[in-house]
Amino acid sequence: MVSLSDREISAEIIDSCRQGDRDAFRALYDAYKDKVYSISLYFFHGDAMAAGDATQQVFLKLITGIRQFRGDAGFSTWLYRLVVNTCLDGARQYKSHAVIVDRSVLEAVVRGGSQEEELARMQIASSVQSAVSSLPPKFRLAILLRYFEDLSYEEMAKILNCSMGTVASRLSRGHRILAEKLAPLKGWLSTRHE
Amino acid sequence: MKMFDRHLSRHLAAYVDGELPPDRARKAEGHLSQCARCRAELEQVRLGMTIVERLPLTEAPESVWNSIQGTLSTHEPRRPFPIHIWRFAGGAAVALILVAAGLYWYSARQAETRWEVVSLNGSPKVASRPIHGVGHIAVGEWIETSGSSRARIKVGEIGSVDVEPNTRLRLVTARPGEHRLALRSGEITASIAAPPRLFFVETPAGTAVDLGCQYKLHCDATGHGLLRVTAGWVSIEWSGREALVPAGASCRTRPRIGPGTPYFDDAPARLVGALETFDFADGSSALGIILAASRARDTLTLWHLLSRVGAAERPRVYDRMVEFSAPPSGVSRDQVLRLDAQTLGRWREELAWTW
Repeated sequence: MVSLSDREISAEIIDSCRQGDRDAFRALYDAYKDKVYSISLYFFHGDAMAAGDATQQVFLKLITGIRQFRGDAGFSTWLYRLVVNTCLDGARQYKSHAVIVDRSVLEAVVRGGSQEEELARMQIASSVQSAVSSLPPKFRLAILLRYFEDLSYEEMAKILNCSMGTVASRLSRGHRILAEKLAPLKGWLSTRHE
Repeated sequence: MKMFDRHLSRHLAAYVDGELPPDRARKAEGHLSQCARCRAELEQVRLGMTIVERLPLTEAPESVWNSIQGTLSTHEPRRPFPIHIWRFAGGAAVALILVAAGLYWYSARQAETRWEVVSLNGSPKVASRPIHGVGHIAVGEWIETSGSSRARIKVGEIGSVDVEPNTRLRLVTARPGEHRLALRSGEITASIAAPPRLFFVETPAGTAVDLGCQYKLHCDATGHGLLRVTAGWVSIEWSGREALVPAGASCRTRPRIGPGTPYFDDAPARLVGALETFDFADGSSALGIILAASRARDTLTLWHLLSRVGAAERPRVYDRMVEFSAPPSGVSRDQVLRLDAQTLGRWREELAWTW
């Protein structure tokens, strides 16, 4: 098995995919599936079916088009451009769900005792997911790409078809909206920062 | 303008992520030391980043791979010709290599010059010969369907085109880097999964350029066309005139005029009717109707109109757009009215999130 870096799948795997090697497709899928699925999941407000559909579409487009991939852009750039386009196409088809972050739940969690720590973690994780899902799509995608793939601003600009300044602006605004929505967590996070 | 004379709001994430060039980062530090507002916003951005770190990576269910595998099984990729040289010796091996190489070259050459065609209904014709079941179309050949026949063309390795009844279509180019058809009349449905600008369909009124998409393209006997996009984006181009059409939108085309102005399929009928007058007849009176009937989503149409109206009317279009969506930072009225390409592109990038 060819070893893969976290960031960029090897040229050897891509070449094998071009030749129609099914094992190479599986290696490529395994390298990116969880990131693609997670981005889709948070983009589609936690809708597992929509995320599964989007992930399937992304990899089918990728597998079908990989013979034409010329390597003039990075593989990740192409892959995540497919993810962004698929999510935006999907958003036009699915009715968006209203996502509400319940601040009273957060405040109750923060007040809770240590024996409730595990429950608190679960509730906070759920609230964070809801808060991210409630962001406008342009902020949401920028944050998800940055967090799940740690892409540079330059790479994100290529994927999102915008300037690096726009990427910076969307990330700044998106993070500030999250901070406002989840303000009750501020003290809790600072004492439990892992 | 010196950077960071103003507040840092837009640049705070870049500052935290170390994405600012060193001299700008130093200026940012200088500004932060003197600006309580920016320090408070910086704290918010950092809190937002800490919050996002709580998002767990979720494992994709195995059912996703099973679905992919199921789809792949019905579209098995072509494999290179296998050569088991070790089974033979001496001259036999050399002969086999030559035969295999010849077959492989022939097969690759065929794939570059002709595509597979499957009859979906009736007996479509390729080069005037009826096809029953599976056949091929070569570069330069026409495929024709009657009122009761349909066909599916496999576009190299990147997708397929359904040829609807009463259609004439020619294969122009069949190379890995360029897949090109010419639609003389009728209708096709294209489903393409490939990097942008590899698949083209020429019509008498413009060329549809795939940007990763699914679409229907209709062309009547007079060359009047209609593009309807169902997924992704398509650019339709003619003689320097271009329309960018996203999923859920359509664009009419006319010979010697090229693409009209794209509009969403759910746009008000008054807008769509007035747009046809504006694009292909005397547009002077139609603009007022278009502006009055437009909705927030119709900034797709209005953005295209900016470069299609005269300088005297451009401010009306701009003002209507601003009613729906304030221009992003860096997009000024003057630059838009001067049709500065970079400014228009920047605004489109922002508007596209609402399209």
